[in-house]
Amino acid sequence: MHERSQDYLLPPGGGLWLAEVLSQGGWRFSEEPPRLASMRLLDSFDWGAYLAGGAIEERLEGGNRWLLWHDLTGDGAVLEQAIDEAPGLARDLPPGPVRGPVLAAVGVRRLLPVVELEVATQALRMLDEEDKTLVRLVVEEYRQGVQALHGTLSSRLRVLPLKGYEAEAGALATWLAEDLGLGPAPRPLVLEALETGERPPGGYSSKLAYRLDPAQRAEAAAREILLGLLATLEANILGTRENLDSEFLHDLRVATRRTRAALSQIPGVLPASVEEDFKARFAWLQQVTGPVRDLDVYLLDFGTYQKSLPRAMGSDLEPLRAFILSHYAEEQERLVDALDSPAMATLLSDWRRTLTEPVAADPEPVNAARPVKELADERIWRMVRRVRKEGRAIDADSPAAEMHELRKSCKKLRYLMEFFQSLYPGQGIGGAIKLLKTLLDNLGSFQDLAVQADHLRDMAARMHADGIADTRALLAMGALVADLLRRQEAAREAFAATFQGFDSEQGRALFRGLFRPRRELDPQLGPGPTPDPQPDLGPVS
Amino acid sequence: MKIIAVYSIKGGVGKTATAVNLAYLAAAGGSRTLIWDLDPQAAATFYLRVKPKVKGGGKSLAQGRADLDDLVKATDFAGLDLLPGDFSLRNMDLMLEDAKRPTKQLLRLLRPLAEAYDTVFLDCPPSVSLLSENVFRAADQLLVPTVPTTLSARTLDQLTGFLADHVRASGLEVLPFFSMVNASLPLQAGLMEQVTARYPHMLRTPIPLAADVEYMGVHRLPLPAYAPACPAAQAYQALWAEVLERD
Repeated sequence: MHERSQDYLLPPGGGLWLAEVLSQGGWRFSEEPPRLASMRLLDSFDWGAYLAGGAIEERLEGGNRWLLWHDLTGDGAVLEQAIDEAPGLARDLPPGPVRGPVLAAVGVRRLLPVVELEVATQALRMLDEEDKTLVRLVVEEYRQGVQALHGTLSSRLRVLPLKGYEAEAGALATWLAEDLGLGPAPRPLVLEALETGERPPGGYSSKLAYRLDPAQRAEAAAREILLGLLATLEANILGTRENLDSEFLHDLRVATRRTRAALSQIPGVLPASVEEDFKARFAWLQQVTGPVRDLDVYLLDFGTYQKSLPRAMGSDLEPLRAFILSHYAEEQERLVDALDSPAMATLLSDWRRTLTEPVAADPEPVNAARPVKELADERIWRMVRRVRKEGRAIDADSPAAEMHELRKSCKKLRYLMEFFQSLYPGQGIGGAIKLLKTLLDNLGSFQDLAVQADHLRDMAARMHADGIADTRALLAMGALVADLLRRQEAAREAFAATFQGFDSEQGRALFRGLFRPRRELDPQLGPGPTPDPQPDLGPVS
Repeated sequence: MKIIAVYSIKGGVGKTATAVNLAYLAAAGGSRTLIWDLDPQAAATFYLRVKPKVKGGGKSLAQGRADLDDLVKATDFAGLDLLPGDFSLRNMDLMLEDAKRPTKQLLRLLRPLAEAYDTVFLDCPPSVSLLSENVFRAADQLLVPTVPTTLSARTLDQLTGFLADHVRASGLEVLPFFSMVNASLPLQAGLMEQVTARYPHMLRTPIPLAADVEYMGVHRLPLPAYAPACPAAQAYQALWAEVLERD
């Protein structure tokens, strides 16, 4: 078993140089035949492995293929397993020691190449007089592939001490440092290699992380928020088009939904006509991306559906999976057509121009020049009160539509708090978002389960009409619908207690302390100038 | 951690070759493997080119003053480590007698290694002693190389008799197999039939008597490392597959 290895950076042409020097050092070495391997570093689009403190390597050598997991945080352990084909979706990896950590880090996402290297390896063994190996050494030289844009990688000497021969490795390390002046490499190769790639490691996240200045003009802050969302939206178009994994479309849709929420919830910063125009155009984008997302959700949840049924019925759902898959290609094609359409191209270019080249409006929109903190307080506080009012009105007999309305209000509130998070003390706003999220989860279960049950009934009817659902499939779908509706009822029953958690004295104090605008505390100042153009605050699904 | 002892009352039956070759195959198959050379002749240690020396001698081991992990040496093969043999181990029995619970010392010493290794091979000296009783207590499987000769078959009966009478070794699976089989000797076939009838659970792969195996001492390598395709190496491979199936 290996002790921890140590890398040394070699000067240019280091491999040849080292072979020469080693032979002069008075040590006995044996050389193994040189080897050539190609190495691809992989990660999900959102850098799941990197952010989890790991790196995923695919290595090809002599017709064999391995997948490796490098732990970059702990003891630098490396796990490896042989694989038959280039890895794609993490969940499709074969069982083995690498699958677990990869799956935990990247979830449902696809492994995409970050950077490719050709690695020329020369392995050496330091021997005693009986030809027993005392220390293993590896000299590696790297040639970078086309994706490597930033910097070149120095050759490395890796010293691999062997258990029970630590003293010999120590003597070699001293010689390398003192006689050859070689210093330990400051960072692991994989980390250095990742940074030569086109995309900066950890550089993409769908999470919102704005740093706003409270005194900033609201209009400038809104542009910053909207430009960030546009960048996320654009970053996900290619992966959505190619359907690399389900999360590209998901992130694209979330960015779209947040854009729409920002347009309706941060009103009066853009000219009204611009607001209206883009609300409609982003609503179109939301709508054309819906059907594929619905199918994705069914496929992602399919295993859970099967598990929710008695084991004897699980496989009876297969015709449903076949039905979903048979519609998938068609819906994906429609989605690609929409993304490739002139409407999409002009939406993106018009929107970017609107956000980057503001046209002077006369008169200036009412909230444009106000400090963003003031507007944020006002908008969030307003929505907090609305959520409370709607929630308190709901009792055991209230129709589902009221729960749905409350959910929409909660989502708007959540987006507002996330947009403006940096304007508030971290712990306070974090707690407020968490409190709201618990409520949203409850409302989300209630609504989504009902929608899924409805949709399943509809699919059952279509499958029956098409003659592709046998009795067993229909019965299994019926059992599934029953299970979904039962869970929906449970969510409905849990609502009162969940809402009370949100609307508790403590919760109320938290929201009040964070968001209640000053002018509301001072009756002299009266209400602020926010217009409230429509009773419905826009489409948030 | 699975503990496999290779043991025979009789010497010169191919015990060390079996331990070294199977340990090599285990490691090559991805199992983190340790081979403990308990024989003062230190033949397994010699085959793997490690210097035969136990730091502080066998005494420090038996008296619990040495940590087993500090004595481990990596071999030249990935995943295969060795606890070297040492001439001082010849007094192991005397040292064990001084310890509390003298038949459980080996198990006590091995326990801390359970996280680091999947498979441990014990290459045992040929004798019935306090050390072998320790081995019977510690091992999950006891591989017994048996040369198809009358005397060797007799020692197998002695061993099974001893285990039945004296050893509280619950769960120890005794797996005899034929070693150093010479197909040209007329008596062997009949004897093998008789032994197989008496021990129906024995392993079915015979290891042939072969010059290739003798060369282990010249090459100082496990047989599959220098002649993987030869019939004896193939036989060890088949034997190992059989041992794995018996889990």
